[in-house]
Amino acid sequence: MKNKYKIIILGITIVIIFILFLRVLNSNKTYQPNQMIGKKIPEFILEDLLNKNTKLDSNILSGKDFAILNIWASWCIPCRIEHPFLMDLKDKNQINIIGLNYKDESVNAKNFLKKYGNPYSLIGIDKKGEVAIQLGAYGVPETYVLKRGKIIFKHIGPLNEDAVNKILELKK
Amino acid sequence: MAGYIGNLALFFSLIFNVFLIFSAIKEIRSNNFNNFKIINFCNNSIFFLLLISFLTLIYCFTVSDFSNVAVYQNSHTTKPLIYKISGAWGNHEGSMVLFILILSLFSFVFARNKVSEKLKFYTVFFQSILILIFLIFLILTSNPFDQIDPKPLQGLGLNPILQDPLLAIHPPFLYFGYVGFSLVFSFALAGLVTNNFDKSWSKIANFWIILPWSLLTIGIGLGSFWAYYELGWGGYWFWDPVENASLMPWLAATALIHSNIVTLKKDKLHSWTALLSIFTFIMSLLGTFLVRSGVLNSVHAFANDPYRGVYILSTILLITFFSLAIFIIKKPKKSLYGKYSFFQRDNFILINNCFLIFFLSVVLVGTVYPIILDAISGKSISVGPIYYHTILAPFLFLFLFFMSHGPLLSWNKEDKFLQIKNFKIFFPISIVISLMIIFWFFDYKDIILILGLLFSVYLIVSIIFDWITQKKLSFNFGRLISHLGFGTLIFAIFINAYLSKEINAAMKVGDEIKIQEFIIKFKSINKIKKENYEEVFGNFLVTNKDKQVELTPSIRKYDRPVQFTSETSIKTNFIVDYYFAINLSEFEKEKIMVRFYYKPLMFWIWLSILLIAFGGIYQTFRLRNEK
Repeated sequence: MKNKYKIIILGITIVIIFILFLRVLNSNKTYQPNQMIGKKIPEFILEDLLNKNTKLDSNILSGKDFAILNIWASWCIPCRIEHPFLMDLKDKNQINIIGLNYKDESVNAKNFLKKYGNPYSLIGIDKKGEVAIQLGAYGVPETYVLKRGKIIFKHIGPLNEDAVNKILELKK
Repeated sequence: MAGYIGNLALFFSLIFNVFLIFSAIKEIRSNNFNNFKIINFCNNSIFFLLLISFLTLIYCFTVSDFSNVAVYQNSHTTKPLIYKISGAWGNHEGSMVLFILILSLFSFVFARNKVSEKLKFYTVFFQSILILIFLIFLILTSNPFDQIDPKPLQGLGLNPILQDPLLAIHPPFLYFGYVGFSLVFSFALAGLVTNNFDKSWSKIANFWIILPWSLLTIGIGLGSFWAYYELGWGGYWFWDPVENASLMPWLAATALIHSNIVTLKKDKLHSWTALLSIFTFIMSLLGTFLVRSGVLNSVHAFANDPYRGVYILSTILLITFFSLAIFIIKKPKKSLYGKYSFFQRDNFILINNCFLIFFLSVVLVGTVYPIILDAISGKSISVGPIYYHTILAPFLFLFLFFMSHGPLLSWNKEDKFLQIKNFKIFFPISIVISLMIIFWFFDYKDIILILGLLFSVYLIVSIIFDWITQKKLSFNFGRLISHLGFGTLIFAIFINAYLSKEINAAMKVGDEIKIQEFIIKFKSINKIKKENYEEVFGNFLVTNKDKQVELTPSIRKYDRPVQFTSETSIKTNFIVDYYFAINLSEFEKEKIMVRFYYKPLMFWIWLSILLIAFGGIYQTFRLRNEK
């Protein structure tokens, strides 16, 4: 085979690979190799943000049929974008949402909730972000769907309509 | 201010780079290569400017200059100094600077070598094209010296998972490995373009392949070591796509080391060696793409930015296209295969090269295919350990067999059927040893385990035999050590995989339970109060036959805010690790949930990886002194 043809074939292959990966880059679904999906959430006990005497215990979550765990912080801009979705999930769909306040100042976090509303039934203070790590989180915001304490779905980044629909579907 | 200097240094290195490429093209056009001085001057300047830029960035991190975006996002005033410094490469921007600095460092050191002017010229030329591509990427999409105004008072902090001394040194090793392969890539292109791809090329290349390979081995080992001790999942390798991304260039480079030796010794396989040199670096680039473009999410992934992804994708594919096009056009034409005979060392190396490429393909498919499938059809498939183990294991045995015999065959003459004498020695010894192990330790017999033990022992025996009968020990020492490390690694992995045990139980003080062959006794519970936390130690005594081990895992309860953390307790010795952890939520309850892992030969896994890397490092020193 002449070199010219070989190079043309090489070029075509490269273009195909380019198109394939471009689609990967443009699709919002980021591929997650996650060991946590299908597993029980790790064990933790955290102080509640709004009520000092309450504790967020992972065992409570295990007893619940369907719950959402949302990692958020007042300093996180995308959290503001997803906040209306959370409020909707709570108000319209009566979904139990538990917050994990990630590396945040409590005062700021409380102000944030005052300003935008509070979708959470309980909020654990994860000051050092350790629980988030155990959950396998990569950053804020991140949302976990739990069925009897088992993680069945995880969304990285701010919630959007697709993710909300997926959550509602899972609830059925 | 410091940021300003760093930025300026980056900018000037870009100018020098453009100038270098420009004058190099002029030289190539006029076809005289007398003017290496200018090129050399530019090459040195680029290196020093990049070094200044990197040091400035470290300075910004050390003094917590939050007007710098990268510092603001990845540091905090209260962090210990070591994490402030390592924060400099614990983020996308900073690690890209390190990436480019290493590209330039290799070019800088290489230009000081005794190599023919023309080869040196082209190598530096290709290397500086790589530097240019990544510099433009850095300055356009991820400048580490971007400023924020007004300056924030406090930073966001380094991801706590990265706050570990091991993780401070793990990335630099990996980068030296990954990026180090760029030099042999440029050198191969230089060899092809100048039609100098021959034995003398291989002789020089040898050093530049083995050095980054050894560093990459250490880098992978460190990552694995950290995962085992810190993540607390009781495992050391998870076939995570990012782990695979580092394994792929390692496999390609391992194949390259061996094919290059054949080129050096027998003046053949030129095309294959050239192709592997290019391919190894492309695998490194693929790893870079996977980690940085945002297609993956993992502990290692950096911030998502679609533009970055497209830029990296395009440049990587362009580099791939042009390097392979150069290969196609300038492919070494020599066909010096000579007389073919099966039982000859170079043939065995070639066979194992094919196996290595096969392993690489399995890992490549397992890593990339699910990502593409997910994006195109929306289907998620999970590719886990089972896929890798089932496909790789049978071929690994053959690989070990060829690896045992290859080094014992001669380069030039056809040997008798694997030198029947060796055959007669190795097989009985390894069968006896593996059967002894299996009958002493195992209740059940799994064929994969038996074969795994048999062939890894076979390899070890053949190396010991080779070692004893070796006439040129110092010459072959590096190879013997690395191969021995590989043999013990496979042995330890098999034993570990089949003998590991995990026990979960609920216990209260005074309880004694007997599960499998272990008796676990919960002796006592102690409380200690420290400044900012209260720690509860469980005191456990594990009895395994007549052996007793005391383990004291604990739970810490931090005050403000209330938070619980679990501290595992690991007792390591040559034979086995005892690994104990208490579950958190049972705190303050009467019964405590405990997890106990029994992990044999973990020490040998780490030692083997060290041996493999040490063999490589020994070899690079020997090659240095030889010159």
